[in-house]
Amino acid sequence: MQVVIRPASRGWVRLDQHLRTLTAFADLLYTLSLHRISVRYKQTVAGVLWAVLQPLLMMVIFTVVFSRLARIPSEGVPYALFAYTALLPWTLFSTAITNGTNSLVSHTQLITKVYFPREILPLTYLVAAMFDFAMGLVVFAALIGWYGIAITAHLLAVLPLLLLLCAWALTVMLVLAVLQVRFRDVGVALPVLVQLWMFASPVIYPLSVVPARWRWWYDLNPMAGIIGAFRDALLQRPLSDAAALDVAIAVTAIALPVAYAFFKRAEATMADVI
Amino acid sequence: MIDIRFEDVSKRYRIRRPEVRGGARVTGDFWAVRDVTFDVPRGETLGIIGPNGAGKSTVLKLLSRITAPTRGTITLHGRVAALIEVGSGFHPELTGLENVFLSGSILGMKRREIAAKLDRIIEFSGVGSFVDVPVKWYSSGMYVRLGFSIAAHLEADILLVDEVLAVGDAAFQLQCYERIGELRRSGTTMLFISHDLASVDRLCDRVLLMNAGTLAAVGSPRDVIRAYESLSDDNSAGRLADAAHITGTGAARILDVTFRDECGREVPGTTTGGPLCTRVDVDVLTPIVDAVVEVFYYSRDGRTLHCQQTTALGGEMLSLWAGRRSLEFTCPEMGLQPGVYAIGACVRDASSAAAIDWWYGTRLLMIEPGKNVRGYFYAPHTWRWADVAERQRHSADV
Repeated sequence: MQVVIRPASRGWVRLDQHLRTLTAFADLLYTLSLHRISVRYKQTVAGVLWAVLQPLLMMVIFTVVFSRLARIPSEGVPYALFAYTALLPWTLFSTAITNGTNSLVSHTQLITKVYFPREILPLTYLVAAMFDFAMGLVVFAALIGWYGIAITAHLLAVLPLLLLLCAWALTVMLVLAVLQVRFRDVGVALPVLVQLWMFASPVIYPLSVVPARWRWWYDLNPMAGIIGAFRDALLQRPLSDAAALDVAIAVTAIALPVAYAFFKRAEATMADVI
Repeated sequence: MIDIRFEDVSKRYRIRRPEVRGGARVTGDFWAVRDVTFDVPRGETLGIIGPNGAGKSTVLKLLSRITAPTRGTITLHGRVAALIEVGSGFHPELTGLENVFLSGSILGMKRREIAAKLDRIIEFSGVGSFVDVPVKWYSSGMYVRLGFSIAAHLEADILLVDEVLAVGDAAFQLQCYERIGELRRSGTTMLFISHDLASVDRLCDRVLLMNAGTLAAVGSPRDVIRAYESLSDDNSAGRLADAAHITGTGAARILDVTFRDECGREVPGTTTGGPLCTRVDVDVLTPIVDAVVEVFYYSRDGRTLHCQQTTALGGEMLSLWAGRRSLEFTCPEMGLQPGVYAIGACVRDASSAAAIDWWYGTRLLMIEPGKNVRGYFYAPHTWRWADVAERQRHSADV
């Protein structure tokens, strides 16, 4: 096995090599993700319950505020279900980017002492968020049981959407994590950004209420298409807005490799500035 | 077969100063490593020594891919593992066992590999039944032992060792040295960075001396250690920049501490087991009736290794009359290991033990390899056949 270490400037686009190194460290990704999950629940009393409680509580609050008080339309679906189907992917996204952004600066000790592909750190938080998502899905099954809705094969549409959601979350995490290393302002601004982002995505309202003249710009946010499609898939109805989903796929497909290359470029000297 | 090849490697750090407006501005460059070229053949143990800030740790960071070089190419053959500060990568909430997997994976081991070595790792660490307890309840000793135990069982072709041996108790350090010796014999290529010249002398086949980011010398451990010592002399005439002088009552002032050989010539130090005279020049302003003069020998990390005192010699009262005086401590066989030591001196009032003057850290003592040392220090000793002696005494009695 020969390794050649060269200055970073020549390493701009070598994604195949980076991916090969990453697969060599697959065990670390697995171990770290596993521990990420177990540590999170070790010190808490309610344990795994927290994973399901968060979207559930949000659902209750949203139902009271946005449905009962603000009378936001929910396309004929019970608002609780309407909100929960969007909160599931949204919680994954917001948890992943919040933790992922801090993943590098919270592991300064490791980054300055040992080498491993740094993208493993944000990735482990993504895996942990996926674990919460799986728990949330179990609650969802109970929820639709409560509403007397049958579970059909239509639900399988969630899987490719989950892949897309994770790819997009990873894109955002990679960029924000690198920026956070150099500018800690990112971490401070993040909660506000996440809030704004939620209102710019169809979480509490349906895609259909967005004015048509805004739609082109609105859809550039991949979360618009992703959450819309998630809602359709979880409610087991046909995809209502294919165009928005196509934009989300296109944006992610372009942005993820660029974000990864940006991340790896910064990785070379990350230990010097962290 | 060359395992490590450095070709014209340079590393620049940008020094930034935060501005009031507009974020960070580049204010200067610092070349931590400049045009360094060297090869390490398979199976060799190469030591890197040099003063603080010479670029030793940067070389290690470049090798372990923690940071990328600014210029040049590094080629590595084989799997690289770094024996870094042990226990980094431990999570306090996880048990010892879970941390073995975590830390092992961080250091690049496969889970299967860790599982196969688990028993040996735990046995080597000596934490016993504590493996199932979260490491936050561990004593610092157990923490370190478990950390090193994981690292010591890494299977690597190239092992990078950076000052890790400075931790732990004596028995554990011995265990570490044995493990490193074992790896060496098994043909692992090693790069060893240390301030501890005695270990470098003992463990390395070849030594590089770095100074101000460049290679100053390459060669056998003894030659390069000697070059380092003369470098320290040139750099600062044996003086550290951060000299300190703490004045107590001000009745006396220590002017200097110097070392002499048997003929009274000033020398930078001696060899292990060699004679050493330490001379303390004092300027006494007001007479002190009952005084003690002490000389301290410190390790580079600030531990007091040895102390010489005037009362320890004769036990008589030492009266210092006004004027410039010189005292000399003589040690026929200095037991310190090869290395560089910091020196301190003190004049105190014997009855109250209050310091009259403290002087420390402004001069370094160089001890070169002399008599062989295994352990912490050399102590003069002789030997004889005890049974023969007893028999002779017995026959004399009869």
